[in-house]
Amino acid sequence: MTPRSQILNLSKDRPSIEVLEAGEGQPLLFLHGAGGIVAWEGVLPRLSSKYHVYAPLLPGFGQSTGLEYLEDQFDLFLHGFDVIEALGLERPYVVGESLGGWMAAEMAALRPKEIGRLAMVAPVGLWRDEAPVADLFGMMPGELVPYLFHNLECPAAQRMMMLTMLFSDKDDRTQEQVEILIAMSRGFRTAAKFLFPIPENGLERRLWRIKAPTLIVWGERDKFISPIYADIFREKIANSEIIRLPNTGHLIGLESPEPLAEALLRWGQSQH
Amino acid sequence: MKFNWFHLMPYRWLPDNFREKYHGVWVDLPNALYDPVAGHTLYNEYLDMLEYADQLGFDAVGVNEHHQNGYGMMPSPNLMAAALARRTEQAMILVLGNSIALYNPPVRVAEEFAMLDVMSGGRLIAGFPVGTPMDVNYCYGQNPATIREKYREAHDLIIKAWAEREPFAWNGKYTKLRYVNLWPQPIQKPHPPIWVPGLGSIETWDFCAERGYNYSYLSFSGYKRAQRMIDGYWERMAALGKEPNPYSCTFFQQLCVSDTDEAAEREWWPHVDYFFNRCLHLYPGMAAPPGYTTEASIRAGIVAQAGNTSLNLGTNKSWKQLVEEGYIIAGSPATVRQRCEELAKSLRCGHLGLGMHIGSAPMELTNRSTYLFATEVMPHLRSIWSEWEDHWWPKALPEEKREKPGSHNAAVKTRVERPAEVMV
Repeated sequence: MTPRSQILNLSKDRPSIEVLEAGEGQPLLFLHGAGGIVAWEGVLPRLSSKYHVYAPLLPGFGQSTGLEYLEDQFDLFLHGFDVIEALGLERPYVVGESLGGWMAAEMAALRPKEIGRLAMVAPVGLWRDEAPVADLFGMMPGELVPYLFHNLECPAAQRMMMLTMLFSDKDDRTQEQVEILIAMSRGFRTAAKFLFPIPENGLERRLWRIKAPTLIVWGERDKFISPIYADIFREKIANSEIIRLPNTGHLIGLESPEPLAEALLRWGQSQH
Repeated sequence: MKFNWFHLMPYRWLPDNFREKYHGVWVDLPNALYDPVAGHTLYNEYLDMLEYADQLGFDAVGVNEHHQNGYGMMPSPNLMAAALARRTEQAMILVLGNSIALYNPPVRVAEEFAMLDVMSGGRLIAGFPVGTPMDVNYCYGQNPATIREKYREAHDLIIKAWAEREPFAWNGKYTKLRYVNLWPQPIQKPHPPIWVPGLGSIETWDFCAERGYNYSYLSFSGYKRAQRMIDGYWERMAALGKEPNPYSCTFFQQLCVSDTDEAAEREWWPHVDYFFNRCLHLYPGMAAPPGYTTEASIRAGIVAQAGNTSLNLGTNKSWKQLVEEGYIIAGSPATVRQRCEELAKSLRCGHLGLGMHIGSAPMELTNRSTYLFATEVMPHLRSIWSEWEDHWWPKALPEEKREKPGSHNAAVKTRVERPAEVMV
């Protein structure tokens, strides 16, 4: 399935945003993680089989530009509402993965009445010294992959390992490969702007404000962000539930798309 | 041309199995390896080496800034410069740290540099590095996506603080101050010469050219590898319509002199090996955080191709390779003379930064090298670029106006301790 792509020009001196769209039905806003959306794969086509999925890309990812207009995290969260407004969505179901999960939680805490329903898939945003979140920006790409997947044999992990082969001590890449690497680095720069050096900026003291029914999904074998954080989110968000997926690492949408989609679709239909 | 004797201040006792056992020499190197009592001796020996360079007529003595680093034990170069201000008399003092985006508020840098300039009688060269990713991002937590913008703002604030004669308010993005009012002010007007160390980014070249700063290329890869980079610098200066004044450019080179070429290898190899294979054991996963290098610089092809993780640090090379490839200049005074001349002319640099203490080199060996360079190399190279004026050099007080440390005690000593004698 190939998603439709449109560009949202939010306003003068605001970011210009590429939105990927697929499917019919109720709207679902999907906020991606630090790796962006490389293909309409994993959990995404499963969600767009039941929902009209809108997946805006942050500046630096895909064709989206204008990171310089998002100077701090509150610019980023307000930008999320600007996108909702521009897409004409009312109290949407918001699903966010990792970085996107953090952004979704912050948005739901900032304006609790404007997020209808929330699902966070292994979100960053909290910190406990005894379970430090892995350093996304302080590792070689090849070293990062085992933090992201439990099953390193799964196709997505294999593909990512292949991509990390582009890093070497030679200058022998094709122009196309160079462009892939530059694009990757551009996206990571956006992630770094909001998450470096420690991906925690006070979300925990805002969590109580979240009113949306909230699903927290975590891979039981997540080595990137410990599953202990699921319990903290659960404890601090009044109307929330945890689903833990066995034999799954951090990038749940790629490693265990089927059970994740099932959980997210069920949450969308539930009476919470 | 001018010569500055530049110290990194490495720790000399990283263990033999260092590369196998430890992640890297920087950021997360366990400080259990550091013995502060040994460190006491090291600091004092190293300052002695710099003072000796001053006595032998080097134009400047230099220090720099690194954090959490086994080959650079100067988290605060200003402390070292303060010690040098009191113990050196002729040499200018090149402080090639303060990574100005690290200091909050950045007026701290303006203050401390002003203090150094006043203490030293106007001998300060103020270095404004962005700082390496290891230092500024991983050790000091600065955001790689915004560090260059923060650097620019800190720079503008410091320059204004040095220039203004009335208190002013600074409403920046990164620093907000209601009252900026610098006490003391530097002796040099409008401010000490500013040198910006870099590893080759177009933005830094433009920044230096626009403001009249010296660009200092600091790598450990030596002059042969640097040629492409420095060519890029001169091409850029030409494109910007700047005169090709060699003194706008400083090149840093590791260098050792012994009585013969054979002696240089025999005496220096263990210490050079220690430097390239222990001190430069760097972890590439903490060398390129996203956003630190701009896309423009990546695309301009002046740095390695995107995805290239090699740091070109001369690891696993033989003495012969390091010498032939220019990672080090080493040998008898005659050999070193010829190599330095070749370097200066091919790179067109008027300032040469000399890393004359290398790795685990002990005191005596280092001072012998310093002595041979000062007496048998330097005099022969002095006249290179003499047709150019050096606009990047301190305007220190004339020597007769510079205070001699201790002279005031001496002047009053008798009257203080034995007033009766004076009365007689």
